Amino acid sequence: MEKKIMTQTVLEVKDLKKWFPISGGLLGRVGGFVKAVDGVNIEIKEGETFGLVGESGSGKTTVARCIIGLLEPTAGQIIFRGQDITKLKGMPLTRTRRRLGIVFQDPYASLDPRQTIKSALTEPMTYHKIVASEEDALRVAKNLIQRVGLNEDHLYRFPHEFSGGQRQRIAVARALTTSPEVMILDEPTSFLDVSVQAQILNLLSDLQDELNLTYLFISHNLSVIEHVSDRVGVMYLGATMETADKDTIYRRPEHPYTHALISALPIPNPALKRERAVLSGDIPSPVNIPSGCRFRTRCSYSTGYCAEKEPLLSARDLGHAVSCHYNLRLSSPIPLTEPAYKT
Amino acid sequence: MTGKPYNSKSGVLLQVDNLRLNFHTYAGEVKALDGVTFTVKEDEVLGLVGESGCGKSVTALAIVRLLPENAYVAEGKILLEGQNLLNISQNEMRKIRAHKIAMVFQDPTTFLNPVLTIGEQLEEVVLLTTPDRLTRVTTASEQSGDLGSGNEKWIKRREDATRPQTSPELPRSERKKAASVDVLKQVRLPDPLRTLGQYPHELSGGMRQRCMIAMALVRNPILFIADEITTALDVTVQAQILELLRELKHKLIGSTLLITHDLGVVAELCDRVAVMYAGNIVEIAEVNELFAKPLHPYTQGLMRAIPIVGRPLERLETIQGSVPDLIHPPSGCRFHPRCPFVFEKCRVEKPQLLDAGEEHKVACHLYGEKNHDANCT
Repeated sequence: MEKKIMTQTVLEVKDLKKWFPISGGLLGRVGGFVKAVDGVNIEIKEGETFGLVGESGSGKTTVARCIIGLLEPTAGQIIFRGQDITKLKGMPLTRTRRRLGIVFQDPYASLDPRQTIKSALTEPMTYHKIVASEEDALRVAKNLIQRVGLNEDHLYRFPHEFSGGQRQRIAVARALTTSPEVMILDEPTSFLDVSVQAQILNLLSDLQDELNLTYLFISHNLSVIEHVSDRVGVMYLGATMETADKDTIYRRPEHPYTHALISALPIPNPALKRERAVLSGDIPSPVNIPSGCRFRTRCSYSTGYCAEKEPLLSARDLGHAVSCHYNLRLSSPIPLTEPAYKT
Repeated sequence: MTGKPYNSKSGVLLQVDNLRLNFHTYAGEVKALDGVTFTVKEDEVLGLVGESGCGKSVTALAIVRLLPENAYVAEGKILLEGQNLLNISQNEMRKIRAHKIAMVFQDPTTFLNPVLTIGEQLEEVVLLTTPDRLTRVTTASEQSGDLGSGNEKWIKRREDATRPQTSPELPRSERKKAASVDVLKQVRLPDPLRTLGQYPHELSGGMRQRCMIAMALVRNPILFIADEITTALDVTVQAQILELLRELKHKLIGSTLLITHDLGVVAELCDRVAVMYAGNIVEIAEVNELFAKPLHPYTQGLMRAIPIVGRPLERLETIQGSVPDLIHPPSGCRFHPRCPFVFEKCRVEKPQLLDAGEEHKVACHLYGEKNHDANCT
């Protein structure tokens, strides 16, 4: 991989919050909030893949939905090319949305079963008035369907005629119809089998090189995130715990949650013996987030101070930010030996 | 090992022999299992890996005879301690499920009754194993003088189990409760007494899975079948469950058949691994051997196709195409349309599972007798 020049920030998420009210009772009074996203800070640079990783319920998908404009954030800013897009409405919003593409997790739910692939691909182009005529739209669609590894005949079929991997290819093609600058990939391979997953990951990496795309890759799969990302953000209970380049996150994490998360990952190498930091308990409910540091209830290093004051995501080194009061010296969560089976 | 008949001294607990299983569907016959053969030895963890739809779970369901109605076994034997489970009556099978085989499934929410508390559900299982029942079993077999090797082992295992003996003077309900609390402690639930009074929806996914494991353990099964039990869980919770299984392995659990699609889980827990593809076992080997020297092209492809933390790769290698339709499975070797080494024989003849080293078997014509010298150096 040639060194990419990653300087300009394309997308920045600042202190993003999305609280969902819990209403109930006779009068529909709001009894509390599900704080799905509660302080997310990420910065994505031109041409890179930013991996957003976290366990289920950590708010990854809500972040994606806020960025794309499917949800309105409760607080915070989403700055795309220098402009806060949370405040946009009407035409400017439509024009901005065109520049952001999204691929959803479940290719069985994200394609309309009664729409042919041709219609699914040409509709966004005509809606956004990107093409001059129907013929142009069809030409672009043909081009795209080949680019994702299918052929022209597939345009005239319906989603049920395709396998999961093929559907995900179609979903990628559909996201590309508006020539987006940033693609948000929300768990694009978690519904697929491993042999098909590899095909999609390779396709995405080819497209990125060809079209100079910036990716926000969301996944709970730590191995996939390590494979695709340049930089990684780790989320826990709605907030960013640590962001850094990939090697720092996987080899020299400074947040105890990142450390535990990576050391919990089963590695396909039976010869490997390692000590793991197994976290006790479960993720607390996002309705009652612990006071102070939200990770303190499961953290083996927590002190009284952690319960009092919430740590801020603050820079440690260049491009490395950690949300922890302490400067912990943690060992590498993965042994630095070679895996048993080399390719 | 091939074709060796069962004998109690060989240490083989479960032997699945040439199991062929089809499903009737409107679209046609789905040939889900195509001659599956493997053994589970005593006190080992055998991993069964493969992608979705390869027949892992169907194999497990066939062993416990909980198959859906449209499935039928066309051929083959499933021998547990030498007894063919396919020939016995429903009633006998129920007893085997109660005392010898325990199975835990992927999604604990589906298998726990939402309207009963954990205690009610667990105590129902505990009823089967309360001490008075145990003594009855012992005396009955002593009287009849029928101390078969299997039975003996079963009783011994119960005595070995490190659970404090509740005194028989206590009322029955108290004994049930004590045994329940005990087994919940063994699966490391933080507050067992409280958990007994809770409903499944009040527990987290990890806790529910622990309850399912507790229900399996309380019976002291000789065979524990774990079907993707960590798949629905988060990484940190999965690590807790794996830790628990590692701790219980050899202590309370005898032999385990661990079904998973995650090679990481296999590497963590298994002693031997069987790789399945489209209804066939394509390779069986001891775990270190399989990861160091995979022989079947599918196993090799699978290992190269997964991103592994700590193994930076520019590109992943892919297995071309996708899993075949099992209504019209490919002729010969079912992997041949996707195999990079395919040759004429593969399209015609189905490869048999043959020895390719110590404790290592592979079903591939590349390693057949004729080509053996040419391809295995």
